[in-house]
Amino acid sequence: MNRHVKDKLVFWLFLAPALISFLVVVIIPFFMGLFYSMTDWTAVAGLKANWVGLENYKAMFSSVAFKYSFMRTFLFTLLSVLSINFVALTFAFLVTREIRFKNFYRAGFFIPNLIGGLVLGYIWQFIFKSVVPAIGSLLGINFLEELLLLADPNLTLFGLILAFTWQYAGYIMMIYVAALLNVPQELLEASEIDGANFWQKLWNITVPMIAQAFTITSFLTLVNSFKQYDIIVALTSGGPTAIYQGQTVNSTELLAVHIYNVAFKYNNMAEGQARAIVFFLVLSVVSIGQVYYSKKREVEM
Amino acid sequence: MKRSLALLMVLVLMIAMLAGCAQSSKEDQTVVIYQNKVEIHEQLSAFAALYEAETGVKVTVKTSGGDSPYAENLKAEFQSDRQPDIYVIEGMGGYNTWESKLTPFEDQEWMDLTTLEFVVDGKTFGFPVAVEAWGMAYNADLLSQAGIDPATLTSQEAYRAAFEKIDAMKADLGIKSVVAMAAGPDMRWVTGLHNFNGYLSAGLPYADTSVLDKLNNGEADMQRLTEYADWVELLFEYADRSVLLTGNYDAQVGQFGTGQSVFIHQGNWIDPWLVSNGIDFPMGFAPHASVKGEHNAIFIGAPSFYVINKDSENKEAANAFLNFMATNEAGHNYMVNEAKMVPAFTNVELKPDTPLSANAAEWLAKDAKYTWLQNDMPDGFGMGTIAPIYESYAKGDIDKAEFINQLAIKIEELK
Repeated sequence: MNRHVKDKLVFWLFLAPALISFLVVVIIPFFMGLFYSMTDWTAVAGLKANWVGLENYKAMFSSVAFKYSFMRTFLFTLLSVLSINFVALTFAFLVTREIRFKNFYRAGFFIPNLIGGLVLGYIWQFIFKSVVPAIGSLLGINFLEELLLLADPNLTLFGLILAFTWQYAGYIMMIYVAALLNVPQELLEASEIDGANFWQKLWNITVPMIAQAFTITSFLTLVNSFKQYDIIVALTSGGPTAIYQGQTVNSTELLAVHIYNVAFKYNNMAEGQARAIVFFLVLSVVSIGQVYYSKKREVEM
Repeated sequence: MKRSLALLMVLVLMIAMLAGCAQSSKEDQTVVIYQNKVEIHEQLSAFAALYEAETGVKVTVKTSGGDSPYAENLKAEFQSDRQPDIYVIEGMGGYNTWESKLTPFEDQEWMDLTTLEFVVDGKTFGFPVAVEAWGMAYNADLLSQAGIDPATLTSQEAYRAAFEKIDAMKADLGIKSVVAMAAGPDMRWVTGLHNFNGYLSAGLPYADTSVLDKLNNGEADMQRLTEYADWVELLFEYADRSVLLTGNYDAQVGQFGTGQSVFIHQGNWIDPWLVSNGIDFPMGFAPHASVKGEHNAIFIGAPSFYVINKDSENKEAANAFLNFMATNEAGHNYMVNEAKMVPAFTNVELKPDTPLSANAAEWLAKDAKYTWLQNDMPDGFGMGTIAPIYESYAKGDIDKAEFINQLAIKIEELK
């Protein structure tokens, strides 16, 4: 056996564990999922799935609840990407300045990220349902006391964004901190000598230098907002209701929750699978587009 | 050459190892029961151990429920080939899903001792796990203070008069609202299943499924629906707004338990909550006046049923275990004293000692019961499809006419 063949064999042998695992747990299930989305599969062992073609996809596009959920998911994603990145970047600037206890602050802002989404959802539910009215009655503000925050669709969406920002901003802040510490001080000093003010330094030096961090943070926040599930389940369970096109819909039933409900609450596995496929496609397109666009703005030293 | 052969052998070995994981060793013959009540897992396991000591047959209790959804885990259990011998379904929905894995009970002793078994086409498929009941649970002390006899609460007119009277005495009674009612996102089962069941079965003879059959065919009974909406309106009107719209289970039961409401729209399952919080005022159930006319019964049924897996190898042993539970005194002791359930069997002489369960047992003894049909609607219809409409109505987003209209549309979509 010549050396070339042997090298190849060794190459494939070392690749095999990763390749096989990837095939078994990602590629094959993906195509199985694609197949099931075109059947009336119910996940009951022993029942054969019947081919129904594109019926499940048709049902999806005629569903008002799905359309509404789709819109709300985009709205939620947009707002929480903005809010998380804004808060994270602000914190990152604060904790990279020469202040006392800055490591303490860094750890403090990061800690909410260590709390699981379900626990966090219940904590915020308690805050919105009990603490806010209690503060209202303490201060004698009737409006706060009678505010049923989780009964109003828009306020609830903001509540969700608040809870999610609180959880995730600390993590994103760490990425910004690492990037900010890598901005070369000599550039900043040079610009200072040239008479640049704070905003000019920020916009012309710091922001381009941390563009790489923007790529990764906006990707992470985008994908995680789009897939948000556990905080919603604990904080709002999909409610409160809103009226859309004359129908009653669940205002915070975002796509991941919606897919779960269709598959498991309505016991409609195949239809849920079809929606999950569309969810996957949309998320892929959006996130690849975002990474492509952000990459173009990065600068090399 | 030799070395590459060795490499090839390693590769083959690795694949063989991966494949080997799929094989499992055959277990000893035991009856496996896969059930969904976390709160009785220990009691049932203890009872199973007692059964093993008595008969030598090993029974393994596996539990999944509470926050981990039973239905999904059961599917996984079957897919993974660890098929249980006895598992749990909750009515027609479960029957439709699991039809291919069910076998009817035949000539079992327990079948003559109950009226609450699960029957399809004249064949008995389910062993009733327990009896649960709900009505308008009332605080007897507050009701007598207000000068109202619960026995008179049998119609919508009587309820309205009573609610008005109590509402006027709020300050004297120290209550926040007349009824503890919840329609928020966490409490969709209260409205979409329990309250809506009034539309399906209140005022009808036991086991009458005519309204349900119409619903499953996409037909709404507009007369009944209109009368029923009056009942919903009445409950919402006299409920506390924050509990109604955003309250969870603790908030609703807590309102009743702390004497801040006279009535609560819940069933005997709130007993453990009340007992563990040291609440001991006298209480009982009054009927739901879901539609027009006189009502003299509360909703009584079995929330879940033990069923036998058709492909089980231990059917005999599984049947023997269920019979033992229903006919032996040890089984009765387990159901009533250990698991704190209301048994579905007429031969049980032990009485539940918690207030609402004891009252439910009295209604059952009088045979004053309306049917549980809420679990026989299509999956997701009660909690997913119609419950949000109740919430919108409670918030005032839609009026009563629109509430009726939207319910009717959703029923027609079931065609």
